[in-house]
Amino acid sequence: MKPAPFTYHDAQSLEEALALLAEHGDEAKLIAGGQSLVAMMNLRLAQPGHLIDINGIAGLDGIERDGESLLIGALACHADIAGSDLVREACPILADAAGHIGQYAIRQRGTIGGSLSHADPAAEWPLMAILMDAKIEIAQPSGDRRTVEGADFIQSIYTTDLGPDEVLTRVRFPCVERDEGWAFKSFARRRGDYFIVAVGATLALDGAGRVSRLRLALGGMEVTAIRLVEIEQEAIGNTPDGDWIEHIAAAARGAGEPADDQHADAEYRRELACVLVTDALAEALNRSGRG
Amino acid sequence: MSRVNDSNNFLSIGKSLPRKEDRRLLTGQGRYLDDIQVAGELHACFVRSPYQHALILAIDTEAAEAAPEVVAVVTGKDLAEWTTTHRMAPPIDGLLPIEMTALPADKVRFHGDPVACIVATDRYLAEDASELVEVDYEPLDPVCDMFKAMEDGAPLIEKDMGTNLISHQTFETGNILHVMESAGRVVESTFSTPRQTPLPIETRGCIAEWDEGTQHLTVHVGNQAPHPYRSALAGRLKLKETQVTVIVPDVGGGFGQKIALYREELTIAALARHLKRPVRWREDRMENLLAASHAREDFVRTRAAVDANGRITGLTLELVEDFGAYCFFPANYLARVVAVILTGPYDIGEYAFDVKVVLTNKCGNGPMRAPMAITSWVMEGTIDNIARELGLDPVQVRRLNMVADDAYPHVMATGETMEDINPGAALERGLEAIGYADFRRRQEADREHGIYRGLGICSVVESTTYGSKFYKAAGIPGSGHECAWVKVDPSGTIRASAGVMATGQGYETSFSQAVAEGLGVNPQDVDIKLGNTDIAPYGMGSRGARGGTAGGGTLYLAATGVREKALAIAAKLLGLNTAYQLTMRDGRVCRLIDDDIQETDLTLADIARTAYLDPTRLPDGMEPGLEVTRAYDPPPMTYSNSCHFCEVVVDVPTGAVEISRYVVVENCGNVLNPQIVEGQQLGAIVMGLSGSLFEQVVYDESGYNQTGLLADYLVATASDMPNIEILSVATPNRRTPIGLKGMAEGGVMGSIGAISNAVSDALSPFGAVVENHPISPSRLRLMLREKT
Amino acid sequence: MDKVAFRLNVNGMDHDVLAEPRKLLSDAIREDIGLTGTHVGCEHGVCGACTVLIDGKPQRACLVFAIQAQGQAITTIENVTGEDGGYSPLQQALHEEHGLQCGFCTPGIVVTMEAYLKENPDPSERDIRDVLSGNLCRCTGYQSIVKAVQKAARRMRGEDTEVA
Repeated sequence: MKPAPFTYHDAQSLEEALALLAEHGDEAKLIAGGQSLVAMMNLRLAQPGHLIDINGIAGLDGIERDGESLLIGALACHADIAGSDLVREACPILADAAGHIGQYAIRQRGTIGGSLSHADPAAEWPLMAILMDAKIEIAQPSGDRRTVEGADFIQSIYTTDLGPDEVLTRVRFPCVERDEGWAFKSFARRRGDYFIVAVGATLALDGAGRVSRLRLALGGMEVTAIRLVEIEQEAIGNTPDGDWIEHIAAAARGAGEPADDQHADAEYRRELACVLVTDALAEALNRSGRG
Repeated sequence: MSRVNDSNNFLSIGKSLPRKEDRRLLTGQGRYLDDIQVAGELHACFVRSPYQHALILAIDTEAAEAAPEVVAVVTGKDLAEWTTTHRMAPPIDGLLPIEMTALPADKVRFHGDPVACIVATDRYLAEDASELVEVDYEPLDPVCDMFKAMEDGAPLIEKDMGTNLISHQTFETGNILHVMESAGRVVESTFSTPRQTPLPIETRGCIAEWDEGTQHLTVHVGNQAPHPYRSALAGRLKLKETQVTVIVPDVGGGFGQKIALYREELTIAALARHLKRPVRWREDRMENLLAASHAREDFVRTRAAVDANGRITGLTLELVEDFGAYCFFPANYLARVVAVILTGPYDIGEYAFDVKVVLTNKCGNGPMRAPMAITSWVMEGTIDNIARELGLDPVQVRRLNMVADDAYPHVMATGETMEDINPGAALERGLEAIGYADFRRRQEADREHGIYRGLGICSVVESTTYGSKFYKAAGIPGSGHECAWVKVDPSGTIRASAGVMATGQGYETSFSQAVAEGLGVNPQDVDIKLGNTDIAPYGMGSRGARGGTAGGGTLYLAATGVREKALAIAAKLLGLNTAYQLTMRDGRVCRLIDDDIQETDLTLADIARTAYLDPTRLPDGMEPGLEVTRAYDPPPMTYSNSCHFCEVVVDVPTGAVEISRYVVVENCGNVLNPQIVEGQQLGAIVMGLSGSLFEQVVYDESGYNQTGLLADYLVATASDMPNIEILSVATPNRRTPIGLKGMAEGGVMGSIGAISNAVSDALSPFGAVVENHPISPSRLRLMLREKT
Repeated sequence: MDKVAFRLNVNGMDHDVLAEPRKLLSDAIREDIGLTGTHVGCEHGVCGACTVLIDGKPQRACLVFAIQAQGQAITTIENVTGEDGGYSPLQQALHEEHGLQCGFCTPGIVVTMEAYLKENPDPSERDIRDVLSGNLCRCTGYQSIVKAVQKAARRMRGEDTEVA
């Protein structure tokens, strides 16, 4: 289990990284935290001829607030996001989800940009990007930036919209509103494992205590996380109570087309979806203004 | 000796001395295999089969040989010239002989089977070259299910054998058929553990050095049994045993996976000799998961004849074990122990077993901590099923069938004699500790609120130590004796050695206590030297929970021999006629006068100096020097017992199992070092819990191993495991030195049964019973769906 | 692929290394720098045995290329000591509580927990088990490690050193 040879490039600027990508094309691979990539390279499942290290690029690891948005740099590591007061204040579900990723040492090095680019179907960041309508900011070879919606960025298992000559630079999340409830619930065989099923939810109520906005996304039910858009829209104006939660959880049970694998069969995933949606909505409701 | 077995009189043993090993291990100064560097060494890696069953038509090594820094590329054909074929053919009824070459030249038999070895100056470059080896395979139909492997016309793992059923052993008592046929009720139960792997955190590996001048091979290898390993290695390389030295450094865990001479290690040793250069191999984790000996994978069915009160009048056992494709051990040996000791603490006079061991296209099996792990689950699960079917309290059924503590020694139906155990006391002590009646009330009340609690009880009678008489009776070659020496140097420093080798058990500490006790010195003054076959006496190694009794016991006997000689010299030096009233305390000769102990001016160092440097002062006829070598053959078996109590809460909607309490009551006799023993018990219990909840080597239907990474082969982490409360009802063994018994495997046996029975108890309102492992959430949900 | 020269700072000392870019940090520390206390258990980031501190943060040395660690401060088990040069409070507690058996996973655990106790001097048992879940131990069953970390944390906070 030793990686195949490669040429190493220590990019010191975004421009340099883009130029190197342009030069080496399909032979090149970016490395940020490398917590998935290096393992795959050690197994020789990935054998890039050129490895472009972007850790030296200044300013890509920032976490800042921009009005009603939270901006997280691609190189921000899971531990920093989980521990950030700003994230806890502006969009606490992100801090919670980040704290569930892998193990302590993995969280110190793994980055949000790397996780999104890797697009593991059972990872937290793709789920969060889809749940929160994140805007993924991408630097193009020309130096121009483009922005992609989370749901469009994550295309399939290990497949994203990121071009081989592009660099993911930053993720823009909306801040949750004051009194907006939220919950992240996941179920894994062991602490830190990739989840079998996970649920993200945010819940905002109007002055009368009726649902004004529900975001609800499920991971583990498809090759990507899925957003339950129809359920979200139907929920608007409903009075959130036990029956309502039960109704939504039952609907979530039928979401997606889960597959069987070593750790769970499809029916079990449906059962988990139902249980986790129930728990997530109850917790989100509890955290909302009404709770 | 009057003080033997009276733990109150021990000065050195029975104390929780902190470990001597810790200093180097805690500071990064340990010396594990990979920490040893040899000048001029080469690095090896293996090319492994992607097929589970295929003929090897040709292997093209040309491109690999031409790769940078590659020194050699060898295959099974090369190895056949340098090594002998291993023939496993012990004289055991029902066991067929089987042969194994160093590397397969004819066909591969499992996914991961090694077919070629690359030697280069660097591991990275060796792996580069391994990608260039081209093997032309002709795939054969594989057979990956042990039941299909027994069918007529199944693909054969060994064509010449004519069958995949490599071992079939049966036993029955005179009246069992009649009892089963005439029984009022027969309760049938099934149990199955999946394939697991020992998973030491340090993988396998070795470094082999050939000295052309002296024609001598030195092999550094992490191994539990250095001398038998040396014998095997010398034999396979056609060398004299004196031409081979095996040196075992610090070992990062073994758990049964580091006993046999593996084909990879034999290959490395042969290559070092052929190339006349040192060669090293470090198994990577994927190789370890795919191709280092696996364990378990069995199916068990019991049928218990019972009366209306739950009294068991007869019991039959069917056991089928999937042994994989290669036999590093006699195929019958692991399963047989299960069958022989199954009835454990229960008085079951009529008994029969039928044990089949089957070859399939999977990695070969070997022992894993508690090779007989399933035993206690099978017996205790059977009892729980009896209680459920008859509507009885499971504790009452246990009490009704148990041999009374004062009725030991008790001879099992299989002829095994158990003695010095107290399963009744262990059960009652544990019931009291957990508050059994109160638990049943809580269980009932919580069910009303959708909280499903369960309590699993598992009595364990653990077979430990395994003396030579056991081996002989079971028809297994080898011996259960152990050998040790204790030497006092002229300066009075003390060295001791034995044939067993530690893989984390703290022998340097606990053995120093055994020697100190026997000799009358401070444990800090005893240096234990293990793991070098040129230094240690020939012994049978560490396995079967024998380290303490066989290793520690033999060292104790050797140390008492040294003391006797030392005191005889002391008597002469003190002008006494006899050493009768002399003893040794903390390295100083003392006189026993009535109940009083008076120090003399004479020390062990004085005596040693005399023994080596002034031998004319020794008693007439006494040999100079101060050292004793002793061999000791323990009883056929020393039995320990324990009773495990596991409380769980099953989250019915998700199938998640939470262990809310774990209590174990232990009787493992007198112990050398209680803290080390407790560590063994905790580790064993968690290994059993981890196996029951998480571990499974998964082969897909075509025989492709899907668990080659630690992301796929799951083991318990700190977050998944409970705190364990250990209570003791210890009684000494009457036959062993110091009253020792073994104890390092019973925890696995007990926890497997306790957790399984606990989950079944929790789910009893649904009529669901755990019959398979791992007890995964999805499997529990599947079971519950089928029941509702 | 050619070897390249670079410099690593390990335990406060600079080391010039000549290695291929693909050389893993775990291998470079062990083979090129000669500090063998950092153990290699899985090479895919799961077992935690190779954990070292990079700029004070515990990280898997098998998931970092050595060349990436230029200019950063690497700390290994060999640099963990107490004020008097003996055991650190954590090492002392592990010794007292029998928190290690074969010792192969131990350096990764010590390094991880030394860093964690600086971040959280008063962790709950659940916190400790959570962090420890990144280090596989096959010998101890974890219980004695958890007890040792609790004991070390108490001592480092200057509290009663008696074990409950």
